[in-house]
Amino acid sequence: MSELGIQTGIGQSSVDRSTRGAIPPLWGTRVGVGEVLAGVFALLLVTAAFVPWLLAPADPLAIDPLSAFAVPSPAHWFGTDESGRDVYTRVVHGAASSLLIGTLATAIGLGLGIVFGTVAGMSGKVIDFTLNRFFEVLFAFPGLLLALVVILIFGPGVATATIAVGLATAPGYARIIRAQLITVKSGAFIEAATVLGHSRARILRRHILPNTLAPLFVLATLGLGQAIVWAAALSYLGLGAAPPAAEWGAMLSAGRIYLGSAWWMSFFPGLVIVLTAVAATALGRSIERRMRHA
Amino acid sequence: MRTNPVSAAGAAPRLAKPLTAVAAIAIAALALTGCTAPSPQTASGSPRTGGTLTYASGDAEPTCLDPHVGGNYPQALLSTQFLESLVSRDSDGEIVPWLAKSWTTSADGLTWEFTLAPDVTFTDGTPLDAAAVQANVAHLQDPETGSSTGYLALGKVVSTEAVSPDVVKFTLSEPDSALLESLSQPWLAIESPTALKRSQDDNCAAPVGTGPFVVTKWVKQNAVTLTRNDGYNSPPADATNTGPAYLDSITWRFIPESASRYAALQAGEVDVIDNAQPDTIVQAEKSGSLQHLDAPRPGASNRIELNSGKPPFDDVRVREAFIRSANVDDAVASLFQGTATRSYSALSSVEPLAVSEPKLFGYDQKAANALLDAAGWTERDADGYRVKDGARLSVQFPVSTNQSIPAEQSLFEQIQATAKQTGFEVVLEPMDLGSWYAALGAHEYNAVSAPYTKVGPDVLRILYHSSGIIPAPSGYFANNAQVNDPKLDALLTQAGQVSDPGERKTLETDAQNLILAGFYILPLYDQQNHFLLRSDVEGVRAMPTVSTPTFQGAWLNR
Amino acid sequence: MGINRVLITRVLVSLAGAIGVLWAVATLTFFAVRLIPGDPALALLGGPGSQASPEALALVRAENGLDQPLFIQYLMQLGRLATGDLGRSYALNQDVAQVILPQLVGTLTLAILSLAVAWAFSLTVTIWSTRGGRIAASIGSGLDVIAAALPHFWLATSLIIVFSLWLGVLPPISTGTPAGLVLPVLALAIPLAGFLSQIMRPALLTALESPFVLSARARGESEGGVRRLHAIRHAAVPAISLTGWAFGSLISGAVVVETIFARPGLGRTLLNAVTARDVPVVIGVVMIVAVAYILVTLATDAATRLVDPREAESGRAARS
Repeated sequence: MSELGIQTGIGQSSVDRSTRGAIPPLWGTRVGVGEVLAGVFALLLVTAAFVPWLLAPADPLAIDPLSAFAVPSPAHWFGTDESGRDVYTRVVHGAASSLLIGTLATAIGLGLGIVFGTVAGMSGKVIDFTLNRFFEVLFAFPGLLLALVVILIFGPGVATATIAVGLATAPGYARIIRAQLITVKSGAFIEAATVLGHSRARILRRHILPNTLAPLFVLATLGLGQAIVWAAALSYLGLGAAPPAAEWGAMLSAGRIYLGSAWWMSFFPGLVIVLTAVAATALGRSIERRMRHA
Repeated sequence: MRTNPVSAAGAAPRLAKPLTAVAAIAIAALALTGCTAPSPQTASGSPRTGGTLTYASGDAEPTCLDPHVGGNYPQALLSTQFLESLVSRDSDGEIVPWLAKSWTTSADGLTWEFTLAPDVTFTDGTPLDAAAVQANVAHLQDPETGSSTGYLALGKVVSTEAVSPDVVKFTLSEPDSALLESLSQPWLAIESPTALKRSQDDNCAAPVGTGPFVVTKWVKQNAVTLTRNDGYNSPPADATNTGPAYLDSITWRFIPESASRYAALQAGEVDVIDNAQPDTIVQAEKSGSLQHLDAPRPGASNRIELNSGKPPFDDVRVREAFIRSANVDDAVASLFQGTATRSYSALSSVEPLAVSEPKLFGYDQKAANALLDAAGWTERDADGYRVKDGARLSVQFPVSTNQSIPAEQSLFEQIQATAKQTGFEVVLEPMDLGSWYAALGAHEYNAVSAPYTKVGPDVLRILYHSSGIIPAPSGYFANNAQVNDPKLDALLTQAGQVSDPGERKTLETDAQNLILAGFYILPLYDQQNHFLLRSDVEGVRAMPTVSTPTFQGAWLNR
Repeated sequence: MGINRVLITRVLVSLAGAIGVLWAVATLTFFAVRLIPGDPALALLGGPGSQASPEALALVRAENGLDQPLFIQYLMQLGRLATGDLGRSYALNQDVAQVILPQLVGTLTLAILSLAVAWAFSLTVTIWSTRGGRIAASIGSGLDVIAAALPHFWLATSLIIVFSLWLGVLPPISTGTPAGLVLPVLALAIPLAGFLSQIMRPALLTALESPFVLSARARGESEGGVRRLHAIRHAAVPAISLTGWAFGSLISGAVVVETIFARPGLGRTLLNAVTARDVPVVIGVVMIVAVAYILVTLATDAATRLVDPREAESGRAARS
């Protein structure tokens, strides 16, 4: 799930590194159906996050006990929950907090990853070895435990969940950034530049950084979807957003006890989480392909 | 000297105040519903011996099966099957004989003598005698045992004495009108003194009692296996089955996820589940293959306690305004779908002395607004919340996710939404049990819902006597509403000591009226305790003590 | 002789590394768990509705060394770990080893089966989709992306609804029978399979275009043989090398899956211990996972050497 996804990016890139340019494009460089769907979904998501009332004008917190547990219908597209709140409205209004959590968590993870990965990748053997061992340990450390511990220290809530997800994903980012740096550093074109007598600073600026940072954009896109799934997992364990906030993970968690009688309460938030993760992956892959062919 | 002192309780209710007339009717009604606490016992032939019943609990797996250690509800659920107490309670709320066949008390109420049932042996062969009871009291009072529930219940017991092999005498520091009720609880069950001499680990793994089943195996995080005690001969006075259990064994499993638990029941993987959620109860009642056992717990009702020890709830007008602005009825109807009945009492409906006051807790936004205006909360901020002297009318509400079922947490959300309309900002803070206790200990709350299970109305003294504000070393204190009223203290202290049932009733009634009229609490419903059973499981009943189901009379009709 | 010395040095370095890793893990966990607010002694006695007496609290503190300064407690913990003693659980009143070891079997069974099933799924879908032309490839990679994005908790409950409630073919909880294992294994294996395929598919496509496959074809080997013998071996290398990580993530997944299916196991033990602030058990579980991770990494290295033709070549070259 969550953890797997982040690593998808890493595994993928570590493969791409050795086979750069050799892969025949699956959909070609033209725009595929999957990419279009992912793009449309992403557009809807961003709209929902910034101008939710365009898509759902109602109040996501408005209760109506008398119409609780309504099945999906033209009046309530996704049905209503146990307090009679409109699930569609809540899903739309939940986009902002879910995206915010995802973006911030990815930023934290990636930020820490860049710092530690760069230090390791550009340092001498001893520091690199030590740091790399450290990444490996944290990388293998069950991420959920790391997140649980962070949450138990700071108390549950959106902020803690975000930090927890960021911290738990940082080792993965650090590892790949270090690997990328080392590959680029030893690449033929760097050697060529060195032979040509270019300065270290210029090599770093003109060759190493662009070649290292570009894949980061791909990673961030892939990581965003997974960070959202991560946060949902924490909310599922009752450790994320506080009720009755319209947050997808919290909605899913609240709906799970009604699975047998009101499937729509957890199905739709779950579906949106899965679609977000899929769209992020599809877009990430697409960008990656385009960059490779550019 | 009288026998069964509580049995005179219903005899001559003295109607001291106009309010008590209502109360008396309520009590009569409650006593009736108490009797009909739907036992899924059906007359479908004579009981059949044999078979294994699988029970799936949603509660946390106990870390120790001996309910003397700690003392919580999950332990009580299990130990009801293999341990027994000195006395029990019948469905009318009267104390009935169990391991003690009779008892007497002195005129000053300071000594009690219990005569034990004859020819009862523990499942390890040790005979039940006065020394055995003494060993149990000593075990409960020993700090090494780490008992909390049993330890508190025996607070007034200073010494015990074996008058003869089958008569044991308790000496008290002051009269205790709640002693029999306390002794009826599973946390004060009598265990084999031989077994108690083992290490605590051994005793936790397999406590030895006189009950209808014996703990034979416990695979942690998986299941406890209970096997029939073939020599069983000590049922409580109100049991239908007077001999050994019909079932060969019980497999007791732990399935924390409620959806999985219900799915397992539907699939026939398990026969009984506890902590059934409202929507599954409704489904089960429609299906032909499942039955429902509703057994509200005794002691306090589930209620929101308003912290009168600090602003804004130190003002009775604000407390009443909060109660009037919470639309509990609609919320209970939608969330519990008819499985829970609204309570207007500080006590559970199974308590014969419970006083119910519906008119104090009606939803009335107009009245709430007027009260808040009068209390000086006249301005509103941009978000629509009321403000006074620059401070928002905010209610900090820590919610224990371990103790509040999901439907209850949704109920709090609905109260949050309706209270917002009159200008209250309710801040719900879901947290784990440890943090929740910490928040209470640090007085970081304005409202809280803390369930409390105990047999009898003496729970009022624990929850609302001002001595309950003084924290234990752990920071724990029971009086979460921080009620500090000398008049109430006097009533509760006296009620805990009087020996005359009629007098006790008057005192407990007056005390409840003070609590209810002071708007310290917002009663919601009884402590919910729902079990779902496969329809071929017959003869299961909930013990009228703390409402744990007993499988002594259960059999499988398959 | 020279080779032996190199070998011994390598073993020693690995051993030192392993001990360092274990020490770091133990230290980090100890302090992280102790940063959690609240009194562990209270957590030990603070079941719902129970109120510990001062005597009981003092006793529990003394029994568990909780009255000692934090640093002393840390040293005590390390000292015990060094002698292989995982300590005694605060909350379960049992030796940690006794708590963990019986749970290990359940989780390892779940993890190993999930890993095997994930590999089987992944290989099947990958081979089919690289053989079936563009449409199959699109479907295949679409499936991978979706599978890898499925949250365990959602997948597990959906599987229960479909296979237990609607179809009634599989038990919704673990019953100790093989049938009870099917749904938990699927819930863990499907996302992992999606992840493995995402790595293998591009690698397989690359390998199929590579010179050695072309030459194998030219030698007249059958297409199936080419795929089985050469291409798959190449494609599997990157996926195998991530197995150590996959193991750690399966443990994370096990926390959720074991709870939903009421399966006894390490994941559930871990979640309970973290909530109960049961430091010795948390450290114990983490140490066990760390040891398992080290073992899995060693095994993965060996497997990579075995499977990867290039590694095998270079290994032989180095030895000769």
